[in-house]
Amino acid sequence: MQKEKLKERDPDEAPSRAWAMGAAGWLFPGAGHLLQGHWARALILGGAVWVCFVCGLMMGGHMFSFGGDQQGLSALLQIPPMIANLGSGLLYLTSWFFDVGFADDPQSAARATYEYGTTFLLIAGLLNYLVMLDAFDISAERKS
Amino acid sequence: MRHFLVMTLFAFLAAAVFGIVAKDSPREQFLYGVKVFAEFMIIGLALAWILYFIPFSDYGGH
Repeated sequence: MQKEKLKERDPDEAPSRAWAMGAAGWLFPGAGHLLQGHWARALILGGAVWVCFVCGLMMGGHMFSFGGDQQGLSALLQIPPMIANLGSGLLYLTSWFFDVGFADDPQSAARATYEYGTTFLLIAGLLNYLVMLDAFDISAERKS
Repeated sequence: MRHFLVMTLFAFLAAAVFGIVAKDSPREQFLYGVKVFAEFMIIGLALAWILYFIPFSDYGGH
């Protein structure tokens, strides 16, 4: 019965479990692999995202959000980097909630590592999108 | 020196993720990770030297 169900299933159709793993991976970097028992992958992939994000914050990087003081085109230009930042999931949301890394003052921007930090924060989010897709693919049995 | 260390850290983290996500077997993952890391470092250093010789106005240098 179970085998018949598997045969009937469209190979392109991902099970709901895969979506849940992807969502978990996005929300908490590494959780998508951890919940599937891939400890080593979770440690390396999730660890890379966490290290990237924490280093970015320690370097005084800036995260982007929609709204705020900007208006018009300037506000729209905030959207692409915000999407990259949003990839960090709960890390981004927690920082946003506590207003950490969102300050747009000249003192922060004057730091020598400001640009590096901002780049690290962007990269952390983008890497987590890849990690999230990897967790999704493993759960959907598209890769081992 | 700090710039180089930051670039190395970035290359290492990105290479680790790319290597694991892109390949299946541990050997392939390691080799691809090393290749990506080397590419980041070599291209980064090459670009740094190219930019070093380009006179960027009166910024004053570092």
